[in-house]
Amino acid sequence: MGSLTAAGALGGCSSPVGQAFTGSAGPASLLNFWHPFTGGDGAQLVTMQSGFRKSSPDVELKSTTLVWGSPYYTKLTLATLGNRPPQVAITHVSRLPTLAASGLLREISSSELDEHGLKPDRFAKGAFESAHHGGKLYALPLDTHPFVLYYRTDVAKKAGLLDDKGQLTDVDGPDKFLDAMRAAKEVTGVWGGSIATVKDPATCWRLFWSLYRQLGADLVTDGGRKVVMDVGAAEEALAFIRRMSAEKLIPPGADGDGGAITLLTSGKAGFLMDGEWQLLAVQGAVKDKFDMRTFPRIFRDAPYACAADSHAFILPKAPSEKAQRADHALDFSRSMLEASLDWAKGGHIPAWQPTAKSDAYQRLLPQAHYADAAEGAAYDPAAWYSGADSNLYRRFSDVVASVVGGHTRPGPGATRMLAAAKDLAGMEAPV
Amino acid sequence: MTTLTPAASRTTTEAAPSEPRRKRTDSESLFNRVTLGVLIALALLWLVPIAWALATSLRPPNDIATNPTSWVSDNPTLSSYQEILSAGRIQYWYLNSFITSSLTTLLAVCTTSLAAFALSRLKFRYRRPVFLVILAGVMIPPQLLMIPQFLTLQSTGMLNTYWAVILPQVPNVVSVFVFKQFFDGIPVELTDAARADGASWLRIYWQIVMPLSRPAISAVTIFVFVWSWNNFLWPLLAVTDPQMMTLPVGLNSVQDAFGLPQAQLMASAVLGALPLLTVFLFFQRRIVEGIAGTGLK
Amino acid sequence: MSTATSAGTSARTAGSTRWTASGMLLPFGAFYVMFLLGPLLYTAVAGFFNDSLVKDGPGKWVGTANYAEALGSPEFWSSLGHTLWFTVLTTVPLMLLALTLALMTDRFSRGKWFFRLAFFAPFMLPSSVIALLFMWIYADQIGLAQGVVKWFGVQAAPSWLGDPNWAMISIAVATIWWTIGFNFVIYLAALQEIPRDVHEAAAIDGAGPWQRIRLVIVPMLGRATTLVAVLQLVASLKVFDQIYMMTNGGPDDATRPSLLYIFQTGFTDGRAGYASTVALLLFLIILLISLVWFALIRRTEKEV
Repeated sequence: MGSLTAAGALGGCSSPVGQAFTGSAGPASLLNFWHPFTGGDGAQLVTMQSGFRKSSPDVELKSTTLVWGSPYYTKLTLATLGNRPPQVAITHVSRLPTLAASGLLREISSSELDEHGLKPDRFAKGAFESAHHGGKLYALPLDTHPFVLYYRTDVAKKAGLLDDKGQLTDVDGPDKFLDAMRAAKEVTGVWGGSIATVKDPATCWRLFWSLYRQLGADLVTDGGRKVVMDVGAAEEALAFIRRMSAEKLIPPGADGDGGAITLLTSGKAGFLMDGEWQLLAVQGAVKDKFDMRTFPRIFRDAPYACAADSHAFILPKAPSEKAQRADHALDFSRSMLEASLDWAKGGHIPAWQPTAKSDAYQRLLPQAHYADAAEGAAYDPAAWYSGADSNLYRRFSDVVASVVGGHTRPGPGATRMLAAAKDLAGMEAPV
Repeated sequence: MTTLTPAASRTTTEAAPSEPRRKRTDSESLFNRVTLGVLIALALLWLVPIAWALATSLRPPNDIATNPTSWVSDNPTLSSYQEILSAGRIQYWYLNSFITSSLTTLLAVCTTSLAAFALSRLKFRYRRPVFLVILAGVMIPPQLLMIPQFLTLQSTGMLNTYWAVILPQVPNVVSVFVFKQFFDGIPVELTDAARADGASWLRIYWQIVMPLSRPAISAVTIFVFVWSWNNFLWPLLAVTDPQMMTLPVGLNSVQDAFGLPQAQLMASAVLGALPLLTVFLFFQRRIVEGIAGTGLK
Repeated sequence: MSTATSAGTSARTAGSTRWTASGMLLPFGAFYVMFLLGPLLYTAVAGFFNDSLVKDGPGKWVGTANYAEALGSPEFWSSLGHTLWFTVLTTVPLMLLALTLALMTDRFSRGKWFFRLAFFAPFMLPSSVIALLFMWIYADQIGLAQGVVKWFGVQAAPSWLGDPNWAMISIAVATIWWTIGFNFVIYLAALQEIPRDVHEAAAIDGAGPWQRIRLVIVPMLGRATTLVAVLQLVASLKVFDQIYMMTNGGPDDATRPSLLYIFQTGFTDGRAGYASTVALLLFLIILLISLVWFALIRRTEKEV
């Protein structure tokens, strides 16, 4: 392969072309960062990054957006296996157990935390705990992002659902929540609430998981090898989901490509069940004619729960310390955490306590109205087939969508879920 | 495929009139007119997606938001192209695709023609079994081998280099056939005479057979280059660093960031289509013959 | 040059010829073994182990557990079903339409370049360009395809890529647009090899244009049809790129073909052993279908 040397000479080993022939990791000042943020999140991120660029001019930050979902984790895995991972990347903590167990992540030591001013007590407790695997810390959580409830204030007002402070009255409990949606439906004339159940496995999962966790039930243990599903609770959760569509309070098939949100923003629905990250999209469409709150407490069998996840910074394992550049990566993470008020503007609840406890954040509306959701954050069960956009999401959301559409009754739906969980748990685990 | 013929032997009667030279009856001429009408309509329909992308790419983003399915814009702009080009990534993708496809083609042409020459001219034991084993290779879809190929390159530490993209694409079985069939058609007397003069086989291959095989070389070159340029699945696995991606994989990552305005997505699509379309416009006949002659998707 | 000399030379150099031949076959052979034959053997063997993509070293022997799992998995069968459905949706129109277009184009001596350009140019585009184009055309609410359908008076235009019933059809249409040029060109080349006097003789016999095409021309395209049919079938069975990019197998896995299933189990889930099992099964299925198809076509060709 004489052309190897020829090309090396052509580009020089330090040029991108030279690196592409030799596979070297580029200059030591280079910091590659991968994230799945687009739209509003992406715009907030750009602001935060520009802060880091200013404060660390000697580091060349290269930020790459990749599509969210399982393709993102596939690429992250492939890059790490291929010895060219980014020095720092975003993960959902729900994906952390698999990544860590696969040996793809570099542990973050407590001395490094001290060195970079990242003391554990400066993070939200739940999020920080979820950043561990096997007792070791592998990630630095940036936020908690729960499943929440959006509502149109104009619709709610006409429906008589606002209290004297202009906030939504009590909608906790199955009947109260359905009554509120019924009242909203009277006003909109179309639907009471809206939720994306078509082309949106994640939303289906979050709805189900929120209700199921409120019933105090668990799904799998032992890293996903053992199924401990409570079929009765699953049926109860599904029955409530079906009630909403059977009573024609939510559409049986709003899609996740904007369909569900559009129903709210166009005034065809008074409520929207979705993640808080839709805030900017909703805000852009209806300005201040909406508000948000934590997802209602439908069941009281257990402490309050709403499906949630956290974005976190990870250091994918590089082939050498020289390529790892952990110091740069941690500096960068710290800088991003410091800037997490900008992040909160996109809807997320900051995990960085100095920000979360700041006046600026607590004055931020409607963010402050659901900030306590972080305490009820129900993370996904730890298993190689679970987590953001996982096989578990797909299997379970099939059932949820089918129940919402009225094609499957809650009882058989719960049985199908159990079968799916057992099927997944029985597979040869890759980790 | 034994049914393949070298592109060179394919007769092209482009210049010869396809119409029977005789007086047409009325029904014949009506039939022709209807056919022509339908054909032109279909051809125009076929151009719609590309034209649509082009039209979209020239519109200012807010224009698209207000009236998405309009073809024209009052104030067409090249700003989307400027945005994409100033982001500076597509230039790398062009370069990466060019380097990897060129080297793949070079290695493929050298190794397959050499093997084909041995199979066509040299008499040695096991020639037929060797040929059959290679022949059987056309039945192995390389896409099904992505896992072991990935593991092989991972163990050698070559992932995320150009070599990872290039090497697995080199063993192109069809090229062996194209060359062998072409070499079989070269008169034996030519090589025998050189052999009698004491020339080595390697020299015969290099100085006599290869210079005579320009049509086969060009067919294989075009075919391997286009196939490698457009290959998606393998480079997707082999290269994960955005700066080292080939054009198809890089374009897919543009689409990943679906926060981009439509006009920019379509500008990327147009820029992505441009290299091979330009090459195609210049070498239309050659390419069509090359593709039809080597015949593989 | 006498035969005797030539025979003498070859006898003297038989040994060296063998070495020369080996040397000439070696470069290609090394690539062939390294990236085709070896991986195929690995695939066959790995299916009996629980290899993981992310764990070092070979996995544990699991016997036929992977095969049992694959054959009992609804996902395996549904992805195979989608692959076959896609193959049917594309192979038939890609052959018939390509033939029709080629027959029509062949009637005209001028302007052929234009038709070749229009129909063949898309084939030169990378799959990611196709995905970008058609995701925009098929976009909900704002896409051209929904606009056209609405213009024809359909109130609720389907979500082309979002409706499980339409998604595969939409992808098939995009694929037909993209790849028809290839079959078109092969047919056109074959048509141009038909001697002109065949047309003329038939015309003198008083056959009309339609009869001439049906009874004289099409039967002469047997070899091209065999080639197109086999290549098309294998290409369709290996579908991946456009589906991966346009729907990633969704909605509700309704468009996930076998190759994407292998990709997901192998690279997303990291279950290299299981994915190898599925890959080998798919290989055998493609082999079987191609052989049957080839035999069928050969037979009809002989009958005609």
